[in-house]
Amino acid sequence: MFKRWKRYHLILKTSVMFSSVFISLSLSAKSPQDQIEFFESKIRPVLIAHCIECHGEKKQKGGLRLDFKQGWQIGGDSGPAIFPHKPQGSLVFKAVEYKEKELEMPPDGKLPVPVINDFKTWIASGAFDPRNNPELNENKKTEISIEEGRKFWSFQPVEIEEPNLTIESTWPTSKIDLYVLEKIQKAGIAPVKDASKESLIRRVYYDLIGLPPSVQEIEAFINDESDQAYEELVDKLLSSSHFGERWGRHWLDVVRFAESSGGGRTLLFPDAWRYRDYVIQAFNDDLPYNQFIKEQLAGDLLHSDNWVEKARRMTATSFLLLGPTNYELQDKDILEMDIIDEQLDTLGKSFMGMTLNCARCHDHKFDPIPTKDYYAMAGIFKSTKSVIHSNVSTWNKRQLPAHPQKIEESKIFKQKISSLESQLKELKNEQKTLKDKDTHDFDFGQAIIVDNSEAILSGAWTESTAVKGFIGENYIHTKSNPSGAASAKFKPTISTKEKYEVFISYTPSSNRNSKVSVKVNHTGGTTQLTVNQSTKGKLSDTVDLLGIFECSPKIPCEVEISNSGSQLGDKVVIADAIAYRPAQTINLTKSESQSDVSAKQNHAKKLDEKISLLESQISHLKKTAPVIPSAMAVSDAKDINDIPIAIRGVVSNRGPIVPRGFLQVAPIEGHSFIPKDASGRVELADWIGSNKHPLTARVMVNRIWSWLFTEGIVRSVDNFGTTGDKPTHPELLDYLAQKFVDLNWSIKKLLKEILTSRVYRLGTELNENAKAVDPDNKLVWRMPRKRLDAESIRDSLLYFSDSLDLKTGGSNIKKGTSIEYGYVFDTTRRSVYVPVFRNTLPEIFQTFDFADPNIQTGKRTASAVAPQALLMMNSPFVIEQARKTYKAVRDGDGQVDLDRLFLKILGRKPSRNETHYINDFVENFKVSGTEKVWEQVILTLFQSIDFRYLN
Amino acid sequence: MITRRQLLKSTGCGFGYLAAAGLAAQNALAARPNSPAPNPLAARLPVIQPRIKRVIFLFMQGGPSHVDSFDYKPILEKRDGEMIEFDDARTLAKTRQIKKQRVFKNLWGFKKYGQCGQHVSELFPHIAQHVDDICFLKGMHTEGVAHGPSTLFLHTGSINMIRPSVGSWVMYGLGCDNQNLPGFITIQPSMGNGGPRNFSNAFLPAVFQGTQIGRAGTPAEQAKIKNLFNKSFDYKSQKSQFDLLRAINLEQNSHSPGETELEAVINSYELAWRMQNNAPEVLDFSKEPEHIKRTYGIGEKGTDDFGKQCLMARRLAEAGVRYIQVNYGDNSNNPRWDQHSNMPKHKEHAFNTDKPVAGLIQDLKQRGLLEDTLIWWGGEFGRTPYAQDNGTGRDHNSYGFTSFFVGGGLKPGFSFGETDEFGHHAIANKVHMHDWHATLLHMFGLNHEELTYRFDGRDFRLTDIHGRVVHEIFS
Repeated sequence: MFKRWKRYHLILKTSVMFSSVFISLSLSAKSPQDQIEFFESKIRPVLIAHCIECHGEKKQKGGLRLDFKQGWQIGGDSGPAIFPHKPQGSLVFKAVEYKEKELEMPPDGKLPVPVINDFKTWIASGAFDPRNNPELNENKKTEISIEEGRKFWSFQPVEIEEPNLTIESTWPTSKIDLYVLEKIQKAGIAPVKDASKESLIRRVYYDLIGLPPSVQEIEAFINDESDQAYEELVDKLLSSSHFGERWGRHWLDVVRFAESSGGGRTLLFPDAWRYRDYVIQAFNDDLPYNQFIKEQLAGDLLHSDNWVEKARRMTATSFLLLGPTNYELQDKDILEMDIIDEQLDTLGKSFMGMTLNCARCHDHKFDPIPTKDYYAMAGIFKSTKSVIHSNVSTWNKRQLPAHPQKIEESKIFKQKISSLESQLKELKNEQKTLKDKDTHDFDFGQAIIVDNSEAILSGAWTESTAVKGFIGENYIHTKSNPSGAASAKFKPTISTKEKYEVFISYTPSSNRNSKVSVKVNHTGGTTQLTVNQSTKGKLSDTVDLLGIFECSPKIPCEVEISNSGSQLGDKVVIADAIAYRPAQTINLTKSESQSDVSAKQNHAKKLDEKISLLESQISHLKKTAPVIPSAMAVSDAKDINDIPIAIRGVVSNRGPIVPRGFLQVAPIEGHSFIPKDASGRVELADWIGSNKHPLTARVMVNRIWSWLFTEGIVRSVDNFGTTGDKPTHPELLDYLAQKFVDLNWSIKKLLKEILTSRVYRLGTELNENAKAVDPDNKLVWRMPRKRLDAESIRDSLLYFSDSLDLKTGGSNIKKGTSIEYGYVFDTTRRSVYVPVFRNTLPEIFQTFDFADPNIQTGKRTASAVAPQALLMMNSPFVIEQARKTYKAVRDGDGQVDLDRLFLKILGRKPSRNETHYINDFVENFKVSGTEKVWEQVILTLFQSIDFRYLN
Repeated sequence: MITRRQLLKSTGCGFGYLAAAGLAAQNALAARPNSPAPNPLAARLPVIQPRIKRVIFLFMQGGPSHVDSFDYKPILEKRDGEMIEFDDARTLAKTRQIKKQRVFKNLWGFKKYGQCGQHVSELFPHIAQHVDDICFLKGMHTEGVAHGPSTLFLHTGSINMIRPSVGSWVMYGLGCDNQNLPGFITIQPSMGNGGPRNFSNAFLPAVFQGTQIGRAGTPAEQAKIKNLFNKSFDYKSQKSQFDLLRAINLEQNSHSPGETELEAVINSYELAWRMQNNAPEVLDFSKEPEHIKRTYGIGEKGTDDFGKQCLMARRLAEAGVRYIQVNYGDNSNNPRWDQHSNMPKHKEHAFNTDKPVAGLIQDLKQRGLLEDTLIWWGGEFGRTPYAQDNGTGRDHNSYGFTSFFVGGGLKPGFSFGETDEFGHHAIANKVHMHDWHATLLHMFGLNHEELTYRFDGRDFRLTDIHGRVVHEIFS
């Protein structure tokens, strides 16, 4: 009917419709001259006015041009736009017809009906079009050349080229230094001085563990004059358990780690911490990086020797599920593709520095990634179970493998519980029958009863006897997910015209619909009623009065029970019987003897007692049963399938099916076969983690470099494609990539190689000469002055005030939290253990450029804005740490040793000027209280630029 | 993007400088390669003759019903109660089926107002007095079925991807006009349905993020900028400590000459100090004359809170804040105007907002601010002309709804676009939310197709590949 009124509406608006129908009947028979005239007068002006702005020379939306015949012949992304003689098969006609929501053209409103009919006529008569443009005949769509693409530097195999100094030098202490110095020499400049020992220890502490060295550690290092002092320091920090906390956090940025789904209806991820702990452990254990990749993509499918390893690996696949997903999206096909898109985007950028998601809608404009490759990889994740659907869907959850003994115990508990539950069920059934008997004794008197067996049915109904109290053999019910309308009509035989009480009999239950549509067709017309079948009737448990109606032999008060108005997911509608009783014989009361009643009540009471005892036993068992934890984890889907290309990214717009596979631009021998019965995640992970993959090692060593030097060798750390930056030191990048693979992908060993180079130990001094030649320090002639990130600032302040809780691992969201909003971040644990919610971050994180957990972040932004200053000046948290730090450093008289205070907070002693300023300040304002003055001095050091930066 | 754009002056906008590292690569600054610590918030020239300098967006969260407010559909009364097939978005998304729905009449009645004869529901008697100043868009349509997606779409142009909010784009395009306040402020925003993502800069530099004043659910008088007050030290004491900080920072900086990033940090402290000493005055409206407060319904039950927000918006507009959002919302999953099952509750929300909005229109008009200020009233979508599940409320309707606008050189007393006779689908002179975004940028003097930001190797726009400037509404 919807369509009917819409059409009605349009007819009102247009009165000329009939004339064009007339043309459509006659045009095809007419001469070419008539066809030209028709095109010129009816079609061309419309194309110019409504279509060509977006489908012409300037713009080709959807790849389509309509300014020349060849434009619609070749068509756009969805193929030819017009098939002559077939208006119904032509996209142009479908679009102007405005019948499909996805395909309505022109977008700002439907064309008048006569014009639409003109298009029909035009296409039906062969779509004569005199506009010729032979240039368009050639297929102008440029095919991406994979071969060409492979020539791009990042797709080329890693190749070692030896460094070659132009001037001999004693400066280098490592191979890395040679590569760096070579370019510095060529530029005619020189590296700056090495960092001082006090700067170096502060730098390496923050870089490796994210915490400052203590005063004692600084002093010991400065006084240790042995050659090995620095190397020993590096070794000590690499083996510290805080190393994983710092470097794991880097990785968590890359994989957009968060503990809620964000977006609209943000949902908590209560098990996301398991992945965080997995990452920290992987870095502490120095898990080979390619193994690390494999576990995150396919840990659930890898062979494991024991349950601990198995659980760890299954947890690793949370990587795929931690994305910012709008689980309330109602179209679940689109939701699934959005999740897959996010997975591909994250893994593409994280592991390979490739933005894959451009290819969701069209061949990648800049990189050799055709849409086909995208859907080849998307097929792998479509064959992976990532989501559990519901109105608001959720991510996939899996029970983790556990200690066999625990599983055994859990089994025993389960058996006990299930045996008690079956006892309980029996008792409850007994209770129910008792009640059914008790209550189903409504006296219909002389009523005419029409049972469901006599009803006229349409639609899908199922017979049932599950809930007792029905009339006749059984009752019938609809499905809870109606696939169409269902109705049951009850028609009595009435002999005389008179008033009847009309009753409905149904067996109530909580799974019944509460608004069942019931229509009574009586002599006075039709009465529409609703019956709540989820609760008991008013006259007895199973009987309700529909009303008093006049019925006659001709109009016998037919009653129609239907699921009209029901939605998918609504509860079932049942139909049992309708009873008609002449209105004068009213007797609505039940009769029962007093003794019957008390005997029944006694029995019922005993039953109730038994039931509540059982229930409490079950609940106790459930509480004490060993908990086997679950994690966010994927598994291979039941349906393993290749999937079709979605044209222009529209899921319902199916193109050809593509076999599952990887990027054609980086083929590696022995890595192409995906078995029919497997998603292909293992094979994908093997391919990405292959020693020969051109991108994987390069991307990771570049990340490591950027986390130490602020900038990567390729500055666009997440983009190694053609729109990314070129490496400043391609030879060094390849040397490091090869070294990484040779070191069996050991991150710690690679780090040691870099940290012990002389480049890493350079000072931060700005040399005017070098700055003039290379203002951006691309050649690394100095160490950039690095800023402390949000976590380092927070952890340091807590550390200075002796408040930092160094406990490692474990769940961290406060118990009882159901939603992120209003969460109070008052933990004093290290920042890596502070919950990361997508819509609610701790203020200090948000203010100091913490990675936006909605976005995969290889490199954080670096801002210097007033809210940061306001926070350092006024936030109660910062002031409290100043206060506590004072308490931690004051001597018996409340005074503070300035040298040690500076060492503690800035890692160095004060300059003469600093001492002078501070002494003056203390002297001038001590009247307001020693404590307060020193708190302000400490606050000043927190706010000073030498705290915020590493020299 | 900014070929024609020049950097006018190096004002701080109260929100500081961005470290060179963050922005140096951006085209915006390539024009001034030698500028030390370039300031991305410096006011920039628009590329098109601008029509407005600022906008006040009154966000009606939850989706006010257009057929009960400004889009008069007499047929709803005539056919009230009839079961008719409608292509209900939610039913379609879930079942791919079209079902019958019960036509649901407007409960309040409409009257004609003003010279223009615009129909307004009796829910909005005060706004109705201003119809001759208002430009209605009655053919609005948008994306998404649920609140989260549609709210994000309204604010960022995307239902699911992470994109900067409209205000951030405007800041990125134009910079900031004032010294002591942020250029993009949202008053009492909802933490639900996308929460901060609705005023977030996403991949744009952090300086362009919206500054939140208070949050939904807290009273307007408690709405403050974070950390603007020091609770531990009085002014004199903090001033002397600030002087010590200045001396120490200059001393430390003298050991690293030429380091622009350090200068930027030092500047951020100066600006913070200025803000701390100036912003509270702008936000404090206690000294506003009583008759002005009354115009906004301040001091009256129901209208007090939203009235205060609207008055605060006017003060911010006067202080030169470019993008001001006032939120009538809450933090729930069924926010404020979301009457799925209890249509009469619309009356409460209409009452709470009607007088404050009318007061704002009147006050801005009186001060001549409507010349270059645009007021935008609207929700994330409208509501269905039929009852949801045959009940007593209306479901979401993104196919067609009404938003209205005042000032900024839009045609006054004008109505553009229409929905079908029931009010379900926009059918003529349709304005998609993308189109509105394009139009708003145009009014600010920005070209939505040229205002791009390179991220992830490609140029992003607020309107993605869509958007049409609705020239028809410009006077």
